[in-house]
Amino acid sequence: MQGVVAAFHELDSAVHAVEELKKRKYGDVTVYTPTPRHEFEDVLGAPESPVRKFTLVGGLCGVTFGYWIAIWCSKYWPLVVGGKAVASWVPYTIFGFEVMVLIGALSTVIGMFANSRIPRLTMTVGYDPRFSGGHFGVWVETTPEQAEEVSALLRRHGAEEVRSER
Amino acid sequence: MASAAAPRPTGPGERPNVPSANNRFPAVRDYEQVDREVIETLQPSFGWFAALATAIFCLLIGISTWIYQIHEGLGAAGYQPPVMWGVYIITFVFWVGIGHAGTLISAILYLFRAGFRTSIYRVSEAMTVFAVMTAGLFPIIHIGRPWKFFWLIPYPNWRLLWPQFKSPLVWDVFAILTYFTISSTFLYVGLIPDLAVLRDKETNPIRKRIFAMLSLGWRNSDREWRHFMRAYLFMAALATPLVLSVHSVVSFDFAMALTPGWHATIFPPYFVAGAIFSGIGMVFTIVIPLRRFFRLQHYITLNDLDAAAKLCLFTSMVVGLAYLTEFQIAWMSGNKVEQDYFWNRVFGQWAWAAWIMLICNMVLPISLFSQRLRRNTTWLFILSIFINIGMWFERFVIVVPSLSHEFEPWQWGSYRPTWVDYGILLGSFGWFFMWFLLFIKQLPVVAIAEIKEILAPRMRSQHGGGSH
Repeated sequence: MQGVVAAFHELDSAVHAVEELKKRKYGDVTVYTPTPRHEFEDVLGAPESPVRKFTLVGGLCGVTFGYWIAIWCSKYWPLVVGGKAVASWVPYTIFGFEVMVLIGALSTVIGMFANSRIPRLTMTVGYDPRFSGGHFGVWVETTPEQAEEVSALLRRHGAEEVRSER
Repeated sequence: MASAAAPRPTGPGERPNVPSANNRFPAVRDYEQVDREVIETLQPSFGWFAALATAIFCLLIGISTWIYQIHEGLGAAGYQPPVMWGVYIITFVFWVGIGHAGTLISAILYLFRAGFRTSIYRVSEAMTVFAVMTAGLFPIIHIGRPWKFFWLIPYPNWRLLWPQFKSPLVWDVFAILTYFTISSTFLYVGLIPDLAVLRDKETNPIRKRIFAMLSLGWRNSDREWRHFMRAYLFMAALATPLVLSVHSVVSFDFAMALTPGWHATIFPPYFVAGAIFSGIGMVFTIVIPLRRFFRLQHYITLNDLDAAAKLCLFTSMVVGLAYLTEFQIAWMSGNKVEQDYFWNRVFGQWAWAAWIMLICNMVLPISLFSQRLRRNTTWLFILSIFINIGMWFERFVIVVPSLSHEFEPWQWGSYRPTWVDYGILLGSFGWFFMWFLLFIKQLPVVAIAEIKEILAPRMRSQHGGGSH
């Protein structure tokens, strides 16, 4: 993977740079921000996160398992008290609910990890430690021929530092 | 720094005690300052070592007392019929309750977009995890033979035995384990971006490597933030009903029993309100010294404490209403046993404990109607100690008087905790504060990324940058 990375100190400069990069249709653009910034969302036009599907599926599996384990265990080892139902859905709703929350939340985390592609063992090219501090980073995938042109564009928009990486 | 915590003059229509974008962090200028000042708090100091040594000493007292109890049997703990639930169950409910404010602040207030949560939620969330870890010890201590604890967990075994799923004690196991897993996961997920900051700023190679592993290679990319924000929102949405359910389940331990004073439908909301109230008390106990020793007054501002104090006042009034409603239910029920029990609670055998509860939880928090007192950290700290004491006694008043004054007069008895109970109670505070003190020197106590989110980012247009 080859590309150009730029560090910006000002948010609006980085937003304008990304806007122009997208307009000119260079390669994939990745933005690094110390904190989530909604300004980039519109410019990048990223799709809705699919994490919610993980939550839904996990939650449904959890609630099913919660009810199932309580009902199955009750039937397998029946404790008949006062002629009451061996499996009773009212108290078992507690297990349904708790396991729904447990599996739903853990699936959400798995969904976030899978979609964000973490854990990552090595830092990929294009990252700079300043991007977790006070700088905004823009990484653009380019061909060797485009690198100079993209670097000039980023500098024109006020990038503090621009460098090519591979 | 103390002057920075003073409220800034406000514009027309703005109230000084209501956090807004203009008066959140007037003394914090840029992202780099946040990184620098928060990372500075991780430097160990003599005071921290002294506090940690004290906590470990208290824990050792608790451990040795527990070993003694295991050797001698539960009789060493002051249990005697009919009071077979005592300090351990009281303290279990107390610590579970403490945890609730953390989840309220980190999850529920996140969904409500309450600005004042930002600076205190990390501490509160860590408090939740350690409080639940502490609470979880007590049922194990209480069962007397702690090595049999795993019998409560449903797992395939050669005896073909399964737990009784209609027992509130099994509900507790599921609720507490879920709560611990979710609150610790929520804490860790929120920490990932801050761990990346620590990784990038750390100079010690060993610590850098540890932070690199813990931050999972987080790079702050737009893709990561997009999924992170969505996941965080859903986790908050799942943690919100969880926090309400857990203490409801704990209340079922009592409400499901046919015991005077326990068998009431008011218990779940009463317990949840009490839990949040006690948790906010503990948040004040922790946060007020912390902001002073770490010089974080300009992050955890008086406005934040003021807003939290209002929440404390509100939950105190809900708890007070629940106390009075209990009396009303007994009065209007026409049930002689119930009426006698409540009379005994406030004017009889246990009057001293009930009045400690009523004064600490209902009377003293009324002072928070005064804005001057809500913004007085000394008073807030003193009040928080009273709230902690009052809420421990609330659980004492729920557990002991009911068991000591059941239906038949020949069953009536008394209860006196022994040094074993007190030793283990002290040990629980040592355990809790040991973990908390270790946490505050290894990981940031305020959420770096969320504080930055509130700060206005640097703009080229503001710095006279040219157009392009």
